[in-house]
Amino acid sequence: MKKIINYSKNIFLLPIVAILMWTSCKVDVIDDPNNPGAGTISENASLSEIQNLVDGMESGMRDNLNSYFDGVGVIGREFYRYSTSDPRFTSDLLGKGNATLDSNTFYTTNPFASRYRVVKNTNILIKALQNTKATISEAERKAGIAYALTIQAYQLLMVFNQQYGNGIRVDVSDPERLGPFLSQDESLKAIQDSLNKADLDLNDNAARFPFTTSLYSNVADDFSKLNRAFAARVAIYRKDWAQANSALSESFFDINGDLTTGSYHLFSTAGGDQLNPQYFPQNSSGETRVVQPSFITDAQPGDTRVASKTSKRTATAFQDGLQSDYDFWVYQSNVAPIPLIRNEELILIYAEVKAQLGDVTNAKTAINVIRKAAGLPDYAGPTDLNSLIDEILDQRRYSLFGEGHRWIDMRRYDKLDQLPKDRPDDNVWTQFPRPANE
Amino acid sequence: MRAIPVLVVLLLPFLSSAQITATGTVRDAANAPLSGATINLKNSTLATTTDEGGKFSLTIPGKAGMIEISFIGYSPQTFEVDDAHHNFSVTLVAAAGKLEEVVISGFATSIKRSNLANAIASVSGRELIGTITQPTVDGALYGKFTGANISANSGAPGGGISLKLRGITSIVANSQPLFIVDGVYFDNSSINAGLNLVSKAAGQGNNNFQDNPSNRVADLDPEDIDRVEILKGASAAAIYGSRAAGGVVIITTKRGIRGKPRIEIGESIGVQAQLRKLGQRSWDTAKVNSAFGAAGLGIYNANNGKTYNYEDELYGRKGLLNNTRLSVSGGNDVTTYYAGVTYRNDDGIVENTGYRKTSFRVNLDQKITKTLDFSITANYVESKADRGYFNNDNTSTTLGVSYVATPSWVNLYPDANGNYPNNPLAPSNFIQTRDLMTNRENVNRTLLGTIINWKLFSSDRHSLRLTGRGGIDYYTLSTTAIFPKELQFEKDGAGTNGASIFGTTLTRNSNINASAVYDFRPTPNLSFRTQAGMTAENTDQNTVVSTATQLIGTQTNVNQSGSIQVNQVRTIQKDRGFFAQEEVNFNDLVIATLGVRGDKSSRNGDANKLYYYPKASVAVNLQNLASWSLEQVNQLKVRAAYGEAGNFAPFGAIYTPLVPAIINGNTGSLIDLTRGNETLGPERQKEFEFGLDMSVLKNRLTFEGTYYIKKVEDLLLNVQVPTSSGFSLAWKNVAAIDNKGIELGVSAIPVTTRDLRWNLELRFWKNTAKVTRLDVPSFNLGVFGASLGTYRIQKGQSPTQLVGIADSQDVKDPESGLHTFGNAEPDFQSSLRSVLTWKNFGFTFLMHWKKGGDNINLTTLLSDIFGTSPDFDKTDLDPGKKLTNGNYRLSQLGASARPWIQDASYFRVREIGLTYRLPPDLIKGVSRIVVGVSGRNLINVFKYRSYDPEVSNFGTNAISSNVDVTPFPSAKSIYFNVSVAF
Repeated sequence: MKKIINYSKNIFLLPIVAILMWTSCKVDVIDDPNNPGAGTISENASLSEIQNLVDGMESGMRDNLNSYFDGVGVIGREFYRYSTSDPRFTSDLLGKGNATLDSNTFYTTNPFASRYRVVKNTNILIKALQNTKATISEAERKAGIAYALTIQAYQLLMVFNQQYGNGIRVDVSDPERLGPFLSQDESLKAIQDSLNKADLDLNDNAARFPFTTSLYSNVADDFSKLNRAFAARVAIYRKDWAQANSALSESFFDINGDLTTGSYHLFSTAGGDQLNPQYFPQNSSGETRVVQPSFITDAQPGDTRVASKTSKRTATAFQDGLQSDYDFWVYQSNVAPIPLIRNEELILIYAEVKAQLGDVTNAKTAINVIRKAAGLPDYAGPTDLNSLIDEILDQRRYSLFGEGHRWIDMRRYDKLDQLPKDRPDDNVWTQFPRPANE
Repeated sequence: MRAIPVLVVLLLPFLSSAQITATGTVRDAANAPLSGATINLKNSTLATTTDEGGKFSLTIPGKAGMIEISFIGYSPQTFEVDDAHHNFSVTLVAAAGKLEEVVISGFATSIKRSNLANAIASVSGRELIGTITQPTVDGALYGKFTGANISANSGAPGGGISLKLRGITSIVANSQPLFIVDGVYFDNSSINAGLNLVSKAAGQGNNNFQDNPSNRVADLDPEDIDRVEILKGASAAAIYGSRAAGGVVIITTKRGIRGKPRIEIGESIGVQAQLRKLGQRSWDTAKVNSAFGAAGLGIYNANNGKTYNYEDELYGRKGLLNNTRLSVSGGNDVTTYYAGVTYRNDDGIVENTGYRKTSFRVNLDQKITKTLDFSITANYVESKADRGYFNNDNTSTTLGVSYVATPSWVNLYPDANGNYPNNPLAPSNFIQTRDLMTNRENVNRTLLGTIINWKLFSSDRHSLRLTGRGGIDYYTLSTTAIFPKELQFEKDGAGTNGASIFGTTLTRNSNINASAVYDFRPTPNLSFRTQAGMTAENTDQNTVVSTATQLIGTQTNVNQSGSIQVNQVRTIQKDRGFFAQEEVNFNDLVIATLGVRGDKSSRNGDANKLYYYPKASVAVNLQNLASWSLEQVNQLKVRAAYGEAGNFAPFGAIYTPLVPAIINGNTGSLIDLTRGNETLGPERQKEFEFGLDMSVLKNRLTFEGTYYIKKVEDLLLNVQVPTSSGFSLAWKNVAAIDNKGIELGVSAIPVTTRDLRWNLELRFWKNTAKVTRLDVPSFNLGVFGASLGTYRIQKGQSPTQLVGIADSQDVKDPESGLHTFGNAEPDFQSSLRSVLTWKNFGFTFLMHWKKGGDNINLTTLLSDIFGTSPDFDKTDLDPGKKLTNGNYRLSQLGASARPWIQDASYFRVREIGLTYRLPPDLIKGVSRIVVGVSGRNLINVFKYRSYDPEVSNFGTNAISSNVDVTPFPSAKSIYFNVSVAF
């Protein structure tokens, strides 16, 4: 009797004890079985994972470049983007009639989102480099972080170029608590500061990055020259001529050098890779880019840049009241690289800086380097500041055609009203609207 | 715990007292023995069942007691047992409804339906397949219980069925119920075969795949099923916790019955044909010219205007159906067994399509001691489904799209050498595609389950039972999609020079649970049942799809190709939980239950956070009141129940992954566009239901009515976020939906005599849903945009409303500028089941009426665009009576979505069957021979302008089903059946 009861008593306790044990036992956290996780990489990344982040960034930097270049190129009246499937390239972007730029459509949101996506990757890379337990030297760690900051600043600059007066968010490391939109001036200054801060760890740092990059150089001290080239560009946007001058001197600027030296986005036909999105075959119909006619008619006789960057069509391309006889032919294959920045721009920045600082001789020298390369005679016009700037803007128009500068250049010298309007009711926009979901 | 000292006292008399054995035979009105009837000592857990000869024997403690003899479908009877009366010959009388049935009430317990506080539906094996053999279980449940919206996604062989219980459960997460078979969690995945590579259906206008895969419940053999219980909402399903928001379908398979071996052989041979033929448009030169211009006219004239009946060519096959069945069951007092084999082979109505399944099951029940028993179930299934190539595409290559894109005067037939001509008017020749392509699913599946029961002690006052259950569900699904390079759309630069897509999915699910049930009866009128236990479920699914293109010659091995892409997706999940429940029964008058389940899961952001799901219910049997005097009313029960259940976020929603991004030969990692939510918990459903059950006229007329309010809270959506965060989307709990519905059922036995018995069941159910919370702006969901009609999630509106662009007269929503044209949810559904037996004849039918509920019919749109609609030249649509239907609908393209949002009401006779039982002893040794003829979907009434209003281009999608894009047409079938029992 007694035996049975004790037995029962214990058994009755059993399930209760079991439940307590059960609920206190842990469920193993299962990491994403399909992809690397942002969290785990930030905490302890291997060197190969760090390399993956860098490759991911450099791949992502190319996302929606077409939306970016089409936006700034069409508004800057460099070329038209014809599309049978989307009329907004020729209505909204050119401000046709009552059409305005939409805050919630692809030309506004896509380049914005893609640049911030890379910014997010740079922030993950920075965390990964800070926390990695892989064997890297302190100099390598610092160099890597400086690389990430440089790319981040460049991406933010592209966002700023479109947002301009709206300002941009610079501190976006915490998606729950995004930093404020800075003012126009604060935004550019923040980009400049970020580049300068990164350069402290790049300049005179002989270390190699703990990864390889396709963008310029794998050695920190060398990569500094790209950082300084970006800094020079930002400085002239800020009209900080002295800063621009010093940044140029530390950049890869070479007045006698190859104009194409610089940093490029690469494309390939390999599986899964991207093709140059600014390339369309000649004489395409439907989807194509054609040159804004004034680029041809305004050119000085003999300017070889016209022939090398445009291609005469077999038939005139019409759409939406626009017409052109020339294809946009800056990129002549679907794997042609697209520059981030190159020596030709630096020479023109040098000319602008020298003109602004009153150094007419050096300004003219630089202008003439560009003119000579384009098959033009030396500059013989007036040498007052306005004339020199006009000449430099004109050279920038032809030298950097289709590379996203014309609109920004005319804007910073307050000359947007000089851009040609193709239809009487067209408008020239100053900036893109802030995306609706911000 | 205080009960323990009491126990000591109470055990004493039990152990010292005498015992008595009640024996007897139970028969029905026709004097046939009833096997499986329950004999239960009242106010105790002591029970037994009758054997194959209707005989029973039950030893009861004490000198006397009351036994109750019950069987589903019959009124129960009670008898006093004492020294003088212990041998009984009982004749049970038929009753309507299922009062005496025992249904699930907890994780390890069941309760008599008459004491149940929930509207748990049950479908017996006889109801499931008694009239007609069924290819899949979910399909067989049509119209057989209230509160469900069941829809076949298409007529493709091998299943593919959406089963939604009590309205809308989720917007983006799972909407299908959890299936549990003999305690084993039964995986019900739908896995795409990778056809999208060729169809490119996803990506333009809608990112959902439209491969039309089957769902894996198809693997379960309906012939093995003894009983299905359906817990429709959280109030009944709360004990299943965070997987139960979509409801739970509990399936019990057949067990052996004591007695000599009983062998049953069944054979059904049938034929199926297209359910509804639409016909083809008739042509003349003017019509050809208008639809296809000079090029078309050239083809038409060159062929002298000859036309081909392509509807018959493509959908006209009379598919042969065969279902062969063998089962053996039997056993003795300690061991019973059941073994069943089914071989099914169905040819589809399209050439080269069909479904073949072989299922083998063994169920074994073994008593080890008087207090310890266990059972083992083992099931192996092998199946092959050739499903054709249908539904939407963006390449005009599916058979369905190609068929509507081809006018009947184009010759697509191969020449004498077997060379197929190119279709001059479309990118594909559907006869060639049908003959040469493959889209096959092969399944090898093993299920093992075991249950161990240990009665630790038992007396008339106390009993304690421990139950352990475990199960493994393991299967391999191979998908094979082959598009040879000689297909019109694969050759000459049109496609990828052939495609060979091999997918393999390995799924291994396991679950284990243990529970303790303690019964305590302090007085004869009061009983308590306490149960508690713990559960664990693990899921691991691994899908690898290899896609080979640029095929070499006629080779189909993936390495015989110029380009191979491989994709792998894994799903891993671990759940742990516990539950506790208390039931109180006062004299069968008041039955109250209180319970809670706690669950944690790796699917949640915090894997170790316990989420609690409470439940409570009460039922009051007014007829058991002492003051009750209405003799005619056998039962009047009011009941109310409340419960909560969860639903996991889509797999991966808690992760913020880095996705591959390639540059310059290197593969990098780029942050995904969607930000995972590390704090994500399950969606939560709260359901309150109350009802009234009544039974009158000696249980010959019963009524069951239920009203429910099901609130689904914290619904997840993938919402847009500021892109400066680096993300475009993030998972957030931002919406809530209310479902309200009513479920009514009436069962009656209008006639019951020795020779004639007629049983009628009438059901009615209706659900209305409304979005009650939406923290993001209203948005369109699913389908192909507002110009063709789309779902729209909008606060204050039904989540299944169908909206679209509209002309100036229509009332438009000021925010979206869209008009509401309809709603996918039916106004109501109703079904009538009748079972008539007269002497040796049996006649059964099941009618089902779905009133209202709209579809987006884009089959019509595609047919119109290609000028092939059968009703193109009629003029019954244009309000101005000027334009033909085809031209009218096309004139509305871009102006109004009205023509494509169509009423999908239907009435159909789902099942009808006639049986004849041959006189007994006709052949020596054969106990029973039944022959019969039966049909499925033989009568269909609907105005809907396509093959079948029951359709879903997007499969089992939570919201956006009810879309018709050139599906595999449904079929109707007729069978001849013979079954022989030895």
